[in-house]
Amino acid sequence: MDVSRIMRDPVSRRRFFQASGVTFVGGSAAFIAACGDDDDDETTDATSTGGANGDVAILNSALALELTAVEAYGKGAPLLKGAVLDAGGAFLAQEQEHAAGLRTALEDLGGKATAKKMTLDYSGLRNQADVLEFATNLENVAIAAYVDAIPKLSSGELRATAAQIVTNEAEHVSVLLGALGQDQVPEAFVTGDVNAL
Amino acid sequence: MSEDRLIITDGECDTAQIAEYEATRRDAVRRGLLAGGAIVAASSIPLLLNVRNAFGQASGDAAILEAAVGLEQTAVVAYDTAAGAFPQIRSTARLFRDQEQEHADGLAAALEDLGGTPPEPPEANEVKGLSAVKSVPQALTFAVELENMAVIAYIDAHRKLKSPALLKTGAQIMANEGQHLVVLRQALGATPAESVPSAFEAGTDPAP
Repeated sequence: MDVSRIMRDPVSRRRFFQASGVTFVGGSAAFIAACGDDDDDETTDATSTGGANGDVAILNSALALELTAVEAYGKGAPLLKGAVLDAGGAFLAQEQEHAAGLRTALEDLGGKATAKKMTLDYSGLRNQADVLEFATNLENVAIAAYVDAIPKLSSGELRATAAQIVTNEAEHVSVLLGALGQDQVPEAFVTGDVNAL
Repeated sequence: MSEDRLIITDGECDTAQIAEYEATRRDAVRRGLLAGGAIVAASSIPLLLNVRNAFGQASGDAAILEAAVGLEQTAVVAYDTAAGAFPQIRSTARLFRDQEQEHADGLAAALEDLGGTPPEPPEANEVKGLSAVKSVPQALTFAVELENMAVIAYIDAHRKLKSPALLKTGAQIMANEGQHLVVLRQALGATPAESVPSAFEAGTDPAP
């Protein structure tokens, strides 16, 4: 799944957000632009990545998602209770760590953290279940984005770090699914395809 | 857990393996990795180390794939054994066994596409530590350690793999291993928040 395709296509974007009671008010131009080309990964060799410039674009794309996730967990917190509230707080902190790590990586590359979070209207979230569903969708978008991005990163260390982040996002999904009363490990290969929910 | 230490029995290991294992075990104890009183034969952790180190020593996508297939096959056998021995965790163990088998099959197919030959899966008695696992907590802890080692191996693989398709598959598999860790940690008593202890999953958090 290509996140850039979802975010560029108004129908897909509306479907994604409306399904979870959240309205997409405006996209970050930097985020959409940073998603990169729809390359056919089957034919693109890892050696033909975009180099440091490509890495900067990809990392800014990821940073936009992380900043959005931070806001989402914060906005959803008032509707959560007990152990789910604790988990939401822990996940917010972890998304902040991801964002901090991405900023550091951008600085190390000599790039700038230009990404901004997506502007979303959360007024449609009415209860804990709505928050859990939306968070699961958002995490799955992030997973799909990272899985797509990993082969395009030019550095082995960046790919390793991205793999650690995407695994953490998948672990978030597992907890969220459990809180929703659903199977916590539905697939052997975690693709993050939002349409699978 | 009543006793957080690894009990080592006699086994077949050469000096280099023992030295390497002891260094890793000391590090693991220091990090609090070992828990649940798991009783493991001396050669079983070196077996896992050998599989993990195979990633470290593997050069080229085919070699990395061969090591990954071996790792997944070991996990299949471990979960299958646990499913047979412990009815309380049978459903989960069977699900994870089947998912590890999907990993092994997918990676084996990729290896064959590269002209390689997948290794034969181990017999249960070749994963020596399994026969010493006598309780559900020990089985869960053993599984956590296996999954942790898989995560560590896949992190290293992401540094080395060249094929974009394999990098993508590796990420999808590693994410699944993380989800296994969540369920295992919760089965060992972790709360939802505690079941995801680290923002960057490194395969180094000890079993709860």
